[in-house]
Amino acid sequence: MSTETDTRNPLVRDGAESTGLVAAGAVALAALLFALSLAALFQQLSLTDTLAGVPVSTFLGGALVVLGGAVVVFGVGSRLGYVETEPQASAGMVAGIAFGFVWFVAGGLVASQTIGVGTIGWLLSAIFVGGGVFAVSVVTREDIGSTLPAGVLTAFVGLVFVTGVIGPSWVWNLGWEQQASFTAGFTIPTLTLFSSLLSGWAAAKAYGGFGARGRHTGAYTLVYLNAVSIVGVLFILLAFTVYKGIGGVLNGFAVGAGVGPTSTVVLFGIAFSFDWPVYLPFVMNGVGLMNEFNGVLPAIVGTIWLVVGAVLFAVPLGVGAAIFLTEYAERGRFTQAVEVATNGLWSTPSIVFGLFGFAFLIPRFGNGKSLLAGMLTLGFMLLPLVVITSREAMLSVPDEYRDASAALGVTKWQTIRSVVLPAALPGVVTGIILGVGRIAGETAPILLTMAGGVFVPGSQTPDIVGGFAFTSSPPFVENPVLLDAASALPYQLYALITAGVGASGNVANPDEFKWATALVLLVVVLSFYAIGIAARYYFRRELNQ
Amino acid sequence: MSETTQRTTDMETENRTDTQTDPETTTGETEEQVQDEWRNYEFAGEPKLAVDDLDVYYGDDHALKGVSMDIPKNSVTALIGPSGCGKSTFLRCLNRMNDRVKSARIDGSVKLDGQEIYQEGVNLVELRKRVGMVFQSPNPFPKSIAENISYGPRKHGDIETGLLARLLGRANEDERDELVERCLRDAALWDEVSDRLDDNALGLSGGQQQRLCIARCLSVDPEVILMDEPASALDPIATAKIEDLIDDLSEHYTVVIVTHNMQQAARISDQTAVFLTGGELVEYDDTDKIFENPQSQRVEEYISGKFG
Repeated sequence: MSTETDTRNPLVRDGAESTGLVAAGAVALAALLFALSLAALFQQLSLTDTLAGVPVSTFLGGALVVLGGAVVVFGVGSRLGYVETEPQASAGMVAGIAFGFVWFVAGGLVASQTIGVGTIGWLLSAIFVGGGVFAVSVVTREDIGSTLPAGVLTAFVGLVFVTGVIGPSWVWNLGWEQQASFTAGFTIPTLTLFSSLLSGWAAAKAYGGFGARGRHTGAYTLVYLNAVSIVGVLFILLAFTVYKGIGGVLNGFAVGAGVGPTSTVVLFGIAFSFDWPVYLPFVMNGVGLMNEFNGVLPAIVGTIWLVVGAVLFAVPLGVGAAIFLTEYAERGRFTQAVEVATNGLWSTPSIVFGLFGFAFLIPRFGNGKSLLAGMLTLGFMLLPLVVITSREAMLSVPDEYRDASAALGVTKWQTIRSVVLPAALPGVVTGIILGVGRIAGETAPILLTMAGGVFVPGSQTPDIVGGFAFTSSPPFVENPVLLDAASALPYQLYALITAGVGASGNVANPDEFKWATALVLLVVVLSFYAIGIAARYYFRRELNQ
Repeated sequence: MSETTQRTTDMETENRTDTQTDPETTTGETEEQVQDEWRNYEFAGEPKLAVDDLDVYYGDDHALKGVSMDIPKNSVTALIGPSGCGKSTFLRCLNRMNDRVKSARIDGSVKLDGQEIYQEGVNLVELRKRVGMVFQSPNPFPKSIAENISYGPRKHGDIETGLLARLLGRANEDERDELVERCLRDAALWDEVSDRLDDNALGLSGGQQQRLCIARCLSVDPEVILMDEPASALDPIATAKIEDLIDDLSEHYTVVIVTHNMQQAARISDQTAVFLTGGELVEYDDTDKIFENPQSQRVEEYISGKFG
């Protein structure tokens, strides 16, 4: 009886709570250090401040020592049999190489920078240390091999911080031409970040009791921390823009009846006018000498018309091409060639599209930079992505739908229109969303085809709808606004930045104006995104409700 | 001796080298005589579909070899045989669905009510309205139940809905509702879905989806219904419902059904055609005769599970 159960690991590990707690605590400490080091790296936490009564660098060092110690204690305890784990015979080649490399670097740096031996000396000691750690990790059992190298290194880094060898005012001048140097402000957070990841990984493996389960926990912790930090960085980026820009956007903001400007809408010759109950000058004004508050309304409207025009141009053409390629053209060399070409076009740098617009479109539209040229240039940029994604979406519509429709005697075109296109629509919309996200922020093509100015007066707001007029001779309709130069947010931002100090006289606070422009651009692009996602959600629900 | 028969006999000798010593094969009755007997399969009235010497090639692959058979009106004809024997190919020839396969080449004649369907100027829309099809896996459109039914007639202009039709006073929504109800009733699905006609068809169970596909097929008022293993993806209860439905349908429609399941063929069909490997029609007769007293040695072995 007992021999049979002895050969297998028990399903439930007894008495693992207290020792597991040590490992779990180490993982938690590693996560905390990870967060702290990120905060320090982005200067949200100053190294000269105090934390819990001690300087931040000392605090980080002490925590690293504790973390490293805990990892080592757990590993050694497991090896001596005080902790029940299921380690494998070796930590494995990958862990060995990783640890060996890390120790190689650490050994080399200590030998050359702290002890100060020559080139041969530091190389030899680095190889000696790295090779030794590699051997230790690979030869010993997993519980020693995957904890000792990580734990000792972490504790060592901690000691370096605690003893002040690398203190808050430490600088390592590399002696390069460019005056490059490592400062404590960069080095301490980075080393902490790295050590906490290394020890966190080891601690997570220990928490899982080593073996297959331990490796799973280790990998999970690494991936999780990684994902969280990426999302965190992106969030910081967004928050930073909002933080810097919100002041400029809200400049002169007021709510109340009659505070806003008066809008007039002309429908069938009858003018309706109403007063806005809110006044947000930054998005409702242009720039003018008489303005109390200046704004970027012309550029916002320009951006919106630009995207609308590009979408109106590219989507019908792109979807049409995709229908032809998917439903009508024989699969073969031709479709392959078109596919390669569209993929290549999508990767073409935007400045090349801009040059095309500048050299080909502008001479054909009255020889001046114009909104229409910008729309078409961006439309050409958008076209390949619409073709690619629409084609993918149509290919993924099951052939059963086409068979079923054909078996009812419905013609091919009717099938495409009533079955294939509705089923492919969510995919098509996804493609448009991605494309709009890219073109709405493009600067280079606009620079070459549409221009505008650094500070655009409100009178230059493009009024496409109002610009239409009927004429008595062919083509009976004209819209001069389309052929005027117009501004767009990304270009205005670029122009503001490159214009330098000389142009700053027009607005009270140019820096605030820049950040506010960036924030408005972000909001406009995200709004297009939101519209796209809502459309996709709507079409999907139509298909699956 | 015709070329076709010659080829068939050759194929058979190849396939049956292992049964050469079987005493029954030496009774003196050759395959040729067997074929002659069932070739004279007779039934009252004109055939709904008359197939004569039909050959199908997919590229170099000769998928169907000189098949001839007449399918009587308002009855259930089962096509059975092992995988890859060409029975689905045969079925898809009857409404020219094989035209949609680029590599397919079709020789021979298929007559619907005496009219050749493989000739210049055949209106495929009309043909497929008259010869409907139900597929192996249920394939309703990702639309509502009602829209699935009214799809065909709407596309053919028999039913007009929508804003423009309403403005022009041509909308016949009552007719559409009647059509939906009639088709769903005929497909024995009305009681289960009458309260959720506007729900998406993909929310139905597999068996319900398949009956919806049959209802959709009925919506264009076909004369012949081709079914390609309609119950192979369904559980026994759903299968039983489909089989009852086929039985009801055969009062008004000519049903041709491909099946893997010999019991199913025996239960629901009036006559059975057995296709065997190589794309030949080996025997075609009343279902009772095929299952109780097959003429061909190979058919007997296939039916009793020894071959195939």
